[in-house]
Amino acid sequence: MSSVSIIGAGTTVRGSIRGEGDLEIHGHVEGVVVVTGEVIITETALLKSDVRARRIIVRGAVAGDVSAEEAIVLEPGARVLGDLGAPQIGIRPGALVRGNVSTGGPLPETKSVPAATPAAAANNRSARAVAAPAARSAPTRAAAPAPAARPVAAARLAPPAARPAPAARPVPVSHARPEPTPSAPSAAVIAKPPVDEHEAEAEADIDEAEEDEASEGGPPPPVVPALRKGAKASLRRKGAR
Amino acid sequence: MAGTIIGQGLTIEGELTSDEEVVVAGTIRGKLSADGPVTIEAGALVEADISAASLAVGGTVTGNVSAAERVDLLGGARLIGDVKAARLTIADGASFKGNVDMDV
Repeated sequence: MSSVSIIGAGTTVRGSIRGEGDLEIHGHVEGVVVVTGEVIITETALLKSDVRARRIIVRGAVAGDVSAEEAIVLEPGARVLGDLGAPQIGIRPGALVRGNVSTGGPLPETKSVPAATPAAAANNRSARAVAAPAARSAPTRAAAPAPAARPVAAARLAPPAARPAPAARPVPVSHARPEPTPSAPSAAVIAKPPVDEHEAEAEADIDEAEEDEASEGGPPPPVVPALRKGAKASLRRKGAR
Repeated sequence: MAGTIIGQGLTIEGELTSDEEVVVAGTIRGKLSADGPVTIEAGALVEADISAASLAVGGTVTGNVSAAERVDLLGGARLIGDVKAARLTIADGASFKGNVDMDV
């Protein structure tokens, strides 16, 4: 029985490929490839996965980290988007790499093995990507004008006396808002018409902050997810009218 | 040469789709669908639903199986699952547990 495995050109694998022996990939793989022998990634191949093996020869496209215990050879036509790690790395003219190249040995296991499942790998990537936008959007939220529509709608929908479950959240807001707040800007914009959902969410964030400050005297702060949900719902209901 | 060969010692966990011949001598867990003939060799372990143009089983398969043309259970094969195929042969020495739908 041969220990050589082939993923043909018309074949797609979604998931992990692990095991012993050599592997020739002509087709598509999304997931992880971990093999003890030699991996050949041919011209027709398209990998969206990390690859670990003893020896790796690449002539096709790989989006993912490539790590070998012995050697990596990128031949003409190879396109690798990801890091390379092996004691020996050959990059022939015509091969393309975008990523870190380290000849110090195979990449640390922690980088690709716990990321073995595609979901985990995706999380790692997105965590990196999301960090920057989140940081960027923070000042925008702080600066976003606070539309007055929601307190009004909230007051109409949820009279302070009754606290029906869905509308319970806006109640503390309706208390807090009409009263003169120390923050001048939010009082000034209170007359502005409601804008889109993004700003509503931004405002919700501001409200969270304000309520945190006001929570000592008033009712206990509402659960955060409920707060955001109610904000959208009251906006939508208002739009329907 | 066969289009796709999953050799002995190799394990695929996930979904394998192919439009050509697939030969499995290793292990597959998940799903296997091919437009060509599929061969599960002796010693192979497949825990997956299989759909194929035709299927020959010599190893162990757990899962429902459907083939456009035929399913052959070879001697020593072990299949637990339902079979849907126009033709089905079960060789002497094959073990099979499941329902058969031959689309009468």
